Order: sequence, then structure tokens, then C-alpha cells
Amino acid sequence: MSEIDIDAILRQGKSLADEVEVYVSRYEDLSLEQRQMAVSSVFEHAGQNIYIRVVKDGKIGVSATSDPTRIADCMKAAVSSANLSDAIAGWDGLSRKTEIANGPDPFDESLEISADVASEYLERMNAGAETYKEARVVTAGVTLLKGASILANSNGVWLERKFTDISLGIDAICEGSTGYDGDSAPFASRLNPEKIGEQTAFYATASRGGEMIESKKYDVVFSENVVDSLVLELFSDAVNGRNVITGKSIYANALGEMVANPKISLTDSPMAEAGDSWRRFDTEGTPTKQFDIVRDGVLTSFLYDKKTAAQAKTQTTGNALRAGNGTTTISPHCLTISAPTEDVLSRPCLFVKEVIGAHTANPLTGEFSVEVANAFLAEGGKLLRPVKKAMLAGNVFDILKGDITISETAKAFSGALVPQMRIPDLQVI
Amino acid sequence: MDKIRYYDIRCVNGDTTSIQIENGEIENAGSSYYGKALVRVLGENGWGYCCVSPFDMDDEKAKTAAIERAARSAKLASVKADIADVPYGTPRSWNAAAKEQAERPLEEKAADLLLLEKAACIDDIAATSARYAEQYQTVFFEDCNGYEAQSSVCRTLFTVSAVAVSGADMQMNYEQEAVVGPLRITDYINKGELCAKTAVDLLSASAVPGGKMPAVLDPAIGGVFAHEAVGHASEGDQIRDGVSVLGDKLGQQVGSKLVTIIDDPSMHGYGYEPFDAEGVAAGPVELIKNGVVNQFMHSRETLAAVGLETGEAGHARAEPGMNPLVRMSNTYIKEGDASYEEILETCRNGVLLIGSRGGQVDPGRGVFQFNAKYGYLIENGDTTRMLRDVSLSGDILSVLHNIALCGKERRMSSGMCGKGQAVPVSDGAPHVYLTEATVGGAGNE
Repeated sequence: MSEIDIDAILRQGKSLADEVEVYVSRYEDLSLEQRQMAVSSVFEHAGQNIYIRVVKDGKIGVSATSDPTRIADCMKAAVSSANLSDAIAGWDGLSRKTEIANGPDPFDESLEISADVASEYLERMNAGAETYKEARVVTAGVTLLKGASILANSNGVWLERKFTDISLGIDAICEGSTGYDGDSAPFASRLNPEKIGEQTAFYATASRGGEMIESKKYDVVFSENVVDSLVLELFSDAVNGRNVITGKSIYANALGEMVANPKISLTDSPMAEAGDSWRRFDTEGTPTKQFDIVRDGVLTSFLYDKKTAAQAKTQTTGNALRAGNGTTTISPHCLTISAPTEDVLSRPCLFVKEVIGAHTANPLTGEFSVEVANAFLAEGGKLLRPVKKAMLAGNVFDILKGDITISETAKAFSGALVPQMRIPDLQVI
Repeated sequence: MDKIRYYDIRCVNGDTTSIQIENGEIENAGSSYYGKALVRVLGENGWGYCCVSPFDMDDEKAKTAAIERAARSAKLASVKADIADVPYGTPRSWNAAAKEQAERPLEEKAADLLLLEKAACIDDIAATSARYAEQYQTVFFEDCNGYEAQSSVCRTLFTVSAVAVSGADMQMNYEQEAVVGPLRITDYINKGELCAKTAVDLLSASAVPGGKMPAVLDPAIGGVFAHEAVGHASEGDQIRDGVSVLGDKLGQQVGSKLVTIIDDPSMHGYGYEPFDAEGVAAGPVELIKNGVVNQFMHSRETLAAVGLETGEAGHARAEPGMNPLVRMSNTYIKEGDASYEEILETCRNGVLLIGSRGGQVDPGRGVFQFNAKYGYLIENGDTTRMLRDVSLSGDILSVLHNIALCGKERRMSSGMCGKGQAVPVSDGAPHVYLTEATVGGAGNE
């Protein structure tokens, strides 16, 4: 990062404000796109994001740029931003130098950002898709990314983190029936490209035809994708400290109360071995920690960054990430769920691999009504018959209060380790 | 030198200023800056892309280096791509630069936003927030044929939201206005109160019993139908790749003769593009004309691949530094001749869906889903009980046939469309009556 003089930015910021912080994230990536079973385009990208925060009289100002030639403008904007913002009561300053536990970064030293490596992933996904020859692979893509970040502030904090990411995706169609699968991981050893290709072709093929099913309540099994995009997404919003202090969370006054089935706990485990986004410190320099958000059904903690913690008169939980305009956002690093486990497909159920419209769920009340995709009537661990069309209607927060069970295994997503989930008596339309 | 059949450079510079207010306090305010260029080379077979940041269009040495790098990447592509030779067109110009707005002090804009948010502070409202953002973006485009184009466009938006609470029950609503060009918040102060009143009314709204029933779509959610169900299925890349239910339907009747659906990048809506990411200025395209699949939206590449007679180029859009994708801009269902009262009377018993919380489509299966902000039960031709969390799903081809009436007045709504990249769009419709739709809700107890 030689061309970005972080020390100079800190010096300039200190002359204009009480405190200053710089967060720089740089990356290079290479993407291959496939059509007609061959590489159709190659994309090289290298860039950086520079975030500046200043604090003046307890007022926080932010700015950001992707263009290193605009750092002076960025600093000026951050100071203007602080002048306009309201002071944060209880603000106790940017992070100070503190001991950060040793631990690995999500960084694969051996990852080579090259077209040859990316091509091999495409070939391996295609080979997997060959298992179901009736399916036609439409497109596939691979992105290899390598990056590093530096967080520095006027209190002498200087923290570095390296990261890699390999993202794979493939979609297929078979007689008007579509299938998609994808995965990403920081380490090559965690990915199974053949399995991704096989699953895509399987779902496209197996979902053909499909029967209409009666509108009534079913035991429904959500795939890992659905649990992540619907259940954990809304739960994370509800425990986000910013939503709590601004009155936009159904859990705002529920700390210490039962919000879930007593058999359920939800924990943030930033350094969980199977997780994808290991963080020893957050983007403000706060050491991360493992802590329960819901323990045995009781809401025990919200997630905070330094600003919202000051507003809530509590301590940061080390959950600050960074948004496009330089403000901090709040998110779990690796949300894990514990609940009674079983072979979730052993008893009769409706298995739902994907839903259409997860993002249209009501983030405040948890209500959702979504269309299923790649759904099957299942029993004895097997997907028996595809379902042509169905809508699911329910409430995420009520689901967590119910007698849910989860699979033994979990899939790693950015921000969560996600099992399959069996939900009793969900309305199907 | 690697073989280059074509190259172009799209350099985008811009800044965004935003203000966020939470419960009467300025949460954050300020500006961010960006500048990225995408250099795109069509090699012997396919494309190579190189994103560079920062980038100076006058720096010939940097330009040459980026072109060579993209050409090396293109050499690895083995799927043959061609680009259609199309006229660049003449960009339609709107008042989109907004110089006076840019020069107005941030403090004054924040004061206006506080007024808007304050208007939402009525009885039973426990939390309010408001956001304002203005973005100034300049695009420089040039290609290997010596063609050059430049545009400067401002986009301005505000959102106000309110949370109503009654005992343990909470409901939320938001209102938004997003335009190309300047926007004076003080012209919209009533939206704050309107937003809050709806949130309060939702506290006593019912969940809808799901099932098949007649439905009336208001202009906002009718627009989402046009965008999600028909727009995405009319994108040239979906057609080329054989993953659209409309792909083999060109010239065929797929819906009621009342249905005409248009996409228009030149329209003064939030999706306005003076010229697209390939430098092509496009006008309106009739995707569905009187129920018949009429044209598809294309990039130069998909037009060449699918056929020159199948539609028009000028619909390639991209985030700064990203590759062009075939996308919609301003998409709408054309007005009909029915009055609102006639639509309700014809529907008699069903649901009215109002506002949009977003939607999604699987163009390959032809299945879509979208969620309304709220709705009303229609009983004996009148709206009665208010409904919350009401959604609608269906298959594109059936629903197009089920459109029995279109209203006289069309309204457009603005938002962002995600297809790997997020771009500003608008969509709209008149009120639309569907003889049958699958309505989703949690009221089946």
C-alpha cells in the first residue's frame, strides 16, 4: 500500500479534528465467465476503498473514496460531515491500542490469481454437472480474490488483515426447470466444485414436471440458502444495535426475555473454525469475541459498534463492518445456531431448496410470503416428488419460538454457519 | 500485439452526498467519491475486461496499457462473440445536471430533511427516520472507431420511514421519491405525515387469507410486475442463453390485447440513460404490444447473437468499472381506458395491492413473486378491510392473459434493480385488474 500514505492522512486529520481513523482495503481479483461450456469473458480488477472518520467535539464525520487522488476531498468532506452531525453522548473515543489475540486471517497463501486456476474450477463444476446429462449448463462463473486491509487511527492503532475468496456459481436448465448452486470460501480446500455442478444439474433435472399440492399447513424443511437469506437475515436485523436504539427492532425491549424456543441458542463466533470470515478485530479495531445473542431461548445481547454502544450506554461487541460511504455497519461475523438435531428429511415434509422473494419479507415484524423454487415432497431422507408451485407464508420470529430442528451439518456463508431447518406447521398456499 | 476487433473505454467519476436522520438527530452526513474506468476489448473470440482506478482519459500511455491488458485477457476467451453495427443515436437531454442544487449548503438540505421527518411524528409513531442522497455522475465514453460521448447526470432521492407501535404490535411504512435532476424536499413534506398515517393504520390491518382470487394492482406494484415478470424475461442475454419463457414467443400472442409494455431509457425517469454503457442512445422499445411479444432489449452483442430483427441495442447498463449487462431502464404498462371505479366494480370481490416492497423473478421457469406494502379487501366492488403483508406470485404467461382491465392514469415509481450489479430504474402502470392471481399472506388460521 505504498502509494497511500496513511501516516500523512492521520497527521492531516489530527490537525483538523480531535481524532482520525483511516481504513484502507485493497484487492485484486480475476473473474471468468462461461457460456456454451467455454470461457466467454475474462475480467481483471484491482482497486481500493479508503474510508476516513474524524471526531470533533464528540461528533463523528465520515467519507470514503475508491480513488486515491481524492483523499484530500475525502478528508475535507469528513470534517464537514462532523460539523453537521449531532454529538454522540457517551462517546469514549476511537479504539485504543490493545492486545489482539493471535489467530489466522481468512487467507489462503497458496491461492494464485490466474486464469488457469479459474479455468480449472469451471472444468470441475462442468464435470460435476455431467452427472445429469439431460440438464444444460447455461452459465458459470469463478472469481478469485486476494486482498488486504489496514486500520489505523490517531490513538496509535495499526492493524492489518489479509483475505482471500474463491466464489463459484453455476446455473442449468432442463425442460423449463432451472437449477442454481454456488459457494464461496477463503480456502480452496473447502470447496467442492464437482459437487456444486452436480447439485445444479440435479435440481434442474429433478424439478421437472412437478405436481400442484394442496393448500394447507406442512412440515417444511428450509435448505441452508433459505435459512440464511430469510431466517438469519431477519434475525440479524432484529439484534442489530442500530435498529434497537432507533426503535426499529421487534426485540428492542426484549433483552432478558424469552424470544425463542428454550432449546435454541444463537451465538456469534467470529473465529469459528468452519466459518468463512475470521476476524480477530472489527473494522474499528475492537477485539472480537464469541458471545451468545440468544441463550436457551432468552435474548442475552444485541450487536453493537462503538457509536451505537455509546448511544445505548453499553460496550461495543466488536461487530463493526464498513459501508460504502464510510459509516460503520453492524453485522454478526459468524452466526451459529444450536437447536435439537435430527435427519430433517426423515419424516414427511416439503423440502424447499430456494425461495423467490426472500428480500421482500417484513424486516420489522418478520412476516413473509414467498414463492418456492426447487421444492419437493420428501420422506425417509429422500426427495420423492417435485412441487410445481407453492407459496410459503409465516413469521420468522414465530418460527424461532416453535419446535424447530436442524441438521447436524452446516454450510458456511459470509457471516454465518447455516444448517438446514425443519419447521412444523408452516402455511403453504 | 494481441488481436483486437473492437475496444471501448467507459470512465465514470462521481460523488454522492447523503444525510441520514434518526428520530430527529443527524445520524451521519457527508460525501463520498468514486472514479473507475472499464476498458473492454473484443479479441479474436470473446471479451477481455480491465477495471482501472483512478483513470485519466487524457493519459494515452495509461490507456494503451489498459487496452493491452484487456486484450491479453480477451485472448483467453474462446466463445465467439460479435457486436452488431448500430447507429449511436442522439442522446435526449433533460435538466439533469442540477448545478444550483449542488451549490446549496448541506446544512440547508439537512434542515429540509428534518422538516420532512418531523411531519411523520404523529400519535402512535415511536420511531422515524429520513434519508437524503444526491449523486453527480459524469461518464466519458470512447471506442476504437473514434466515437466519443460524455454525460453528466444528477440523481436525487429521499426516503422517510415511520414505525407505529401499539402494545406489542409494531408496523412500519416508508415513502420515497427519487428523480433524475434536482429535487426540493420542501415540496414533499406531506409525504412524512402520509407515511406515518399508513404505518398507524397498519396496526389494525388484517393478514390476508392466501389463495387464488381476483386482484387489482395499483400503479406501483403493477410497475413491479412489468419490470420483474416481463422486463427481465425480455433481456437479450436471457433470450440468447435460452433461459426466458418469452424466448421463443416473438410475434406470438402471450397476453390480453389490452397489454402493452414499454421500456424507455430516454424517458425522464430514474432509469434515464443519455446513452448506454456501449455509447448507444436508445428510445422506447415496445416489449409487448397489444399482448404480442414484439421486441427484446439488447446490447450490441446480444442483438448480433439473437438477430437484428428481434429488438434494439441501447440497453446495456453497468455500475462504474463493471461489465455491461442487458438491463431495463424505465419500464411501464401503457394506459388503458378504464376508470378506477370501473376496475373495482368489475373485480367485485378480491384484493387491491398497494405499493411495492420488491419482487423477484425466475425468467427460465417464468415464475415471479412480489410483495405489496399493504392492500385492501375488495368486497362488492368497494375497498373494505386494510391488509398487511400481502404478496402475489404467478407464472408470467398466465398472468398476462388474466389482465382484463387497465386504468387511464399511469404513475411511475423509482428504485434500484439488482442483477449482479445495482442500477437505478423506474417502473409504473395504471391500475390493473387481474381476473385471477395467487395471493400470499398469513391469514389462513
